[in-house]
Amino acid sequence: MILQSHDLVKSFGGVTAVDHLSLEVEKGSVFGIIGPNGSGKTTFFNLVNGVYPPTSGTITFNGRNITGLRPHQIAKLGIGRTYQVPAPFTKMTVLENVMVSTFMRSSSLKESRKVSWEILERVRLEDKGNSLVLNVTLEDRKRLELARALGTRPDLLLLDEVMAGLTPSEIKEAIELIRSLRTGELTIIVVEHIMDVILSLCDRIAVLDYGEKIAEDVPDKVVNDPNVIKAYLGERYSARN
Amino acid sequence: MAWKLTVFILLLVICFIFPWIVSPLWLRIGTEVVMWAGLAQSFNIICGYTGRLDFGHGAFFGIGAYVTGMAMTLLGWPFGLGLLVSGIVSALLALAIGYPTLRLRGAYFAIATWAMGELIRQIATILDITGGAFGLQLPAVLNLPYFYYMMLLVTGLTYLTTYLLVEKARFGYKLLAIREDEDAAEMVGVNTASTKNWAFALSAFFPGVLGGIYAYWVTFIHPDSVLGGQITDVMCVMAFLGGIGSLWGPFLGAIVVQLIQRVLWVVWGEGTFYLVIIGVTICAVILFIPNGLVGLLEGTGLFSPKESVNELKKKIKW
Repeated sequence: MILQSHDLVKSFGGVTAVDHLSLEVEKGSVFGIIGPNGSGKTTFFNLVNGVYPPTSGTITFNGRNITGLRPHQIAKLGIGRTYQVPAPFTKMTVLENVMVSTFMRSSSLKESRKVSWEILERVRLEDKGNSLVLNVTLEDRKRLELARALGTRPDLLLLDEVMAGLTPSEIKEAIELIRSLRTGELTIIVVEHIMDVILSLCDRIAVLDYGEKIAEDVPDKVVNDPNVIKAYLGERYSARN
Repeated sequence: MAWKLTVFILLLVICFIFPWIVSPLWLRIGTEVVMWAGLAQSFNIICGYTGRLDFGHGAFFGIGAYVTGMAMTLLGWPFGLGLLVSGIVSALLALAIGYPTLRLRGAYFAIATWAMGELIRQIATILDITGGAFGLQLPAVLNLPYFYYMMLLVTGLTYLTTYLLVEKARFGYKLLAIREDEDAAEMVGVNTASTKNWAFALSAFFPGVLGGIYAYWVTFIHPDSVLGGQITDVMCVMAFLGGIGSLWGPFLGAIVVQLIQRVLWVVWGEGTFYLVIIGVTICAVILFIPNGLVGLLEGTGLFSPKESVNELKKKIKW
């Protein structure tokens, strides 16, 4: 198990965003997290990479308790992350954005530059390397978001709705891209709304609703789970079927 | 590229032979310009590159002046050692203030540094060892070229350090990343808290040393002359006028502001009306050339700022 969360709770005042969540993610797998809006998916990511500390519970990464560490420390231990809304350094070039993320594991600017070009090629952004982020499209910003996460050379990659806002053909490309990252070494956790994406990418899926895990299984079983259909598509849809 | 280098070398030569081709009055003005160019650059490190507004930056200048002054008069230390200690004391103070305040978002850092500046001024006014409101008298050395070259040396180091550490090194990339999006920077492994602290310490070191040279140069300092709020104001105006976040912006800003100030002062004598004219000029410049002087030269190939300074201003956490 590369990542384990045990009895994780996060409350914001009276709202419990993540409610006694226990998850285990196997090394080298692609793990999906789905759930309606506000079900605590992004909050879970924020807890894992240290944006805020959990109210209670623990997170273990590679056998090490990482609860309460700061984001840059967690990045150093090997967890990379993309934001739902891309947050690039807009007044820097695409290449420079990636370079910043490689500093942690490189010894010189020259090496950073070389590694960054390689990553840009991997996400097919090499043509835009020297453009200011200000001038690139949303799709390219999403690619950049991924490139920057890869720049930290993660063992675990958290992808927060990388497909949101993309056109169907762009989504197809993005799925291919993520699939190409599966090398056995890299573990990926995907949060996504688009079911096609989740079903075609993931080995296992957990479903959250109001911060609680209501199901966890292989994709085929999860989509047929009555609880999941109820939470996702509503009472009426589940009754109709 | 070749002619850029020619311009740069020409500039260096002019800087070096300057004391031998001008009158003592102009040498004084030249010394001031060089000093302010260094001060404005130090302000640029924390404000332009890191995007944090330091409203008490002038305090580091005053601290440098007082530390050098006290080290020489009370402890009998040599001038050079006094300067080094001045820089170190300023940098350490910046670390002490930056540690709790730089992690805050929004305007808190600007408020905290402003309060720090006022605090230091009050302390200098009430203490006995600083000479209180009467100020501090240093041994007089009447050697204008010496002080000019000292200022030139330290300001040169300020620009060289900015070039090597900020424009051409990983440290600078991290600073820009922090200015652009602090959370995202943290996410890709930048230790934002310590990076900001080091940037602040670096930006405080140089005004400390320049303050020390200033004290020995003018031989008499008092709280209003080296710790007054106008020192921060002038640094700020020079950096913004020249163009923040660019290497040469503060240099241009310092030349223009200092020259205007001096010429008007000569024309109007001891009156204060020249301050009004300076104020109006600055308002006009900020309204009509918001990118600063470097922005005006954009496209001439002489300077290549990485981005529109106007856009950058929005990034500064007021």
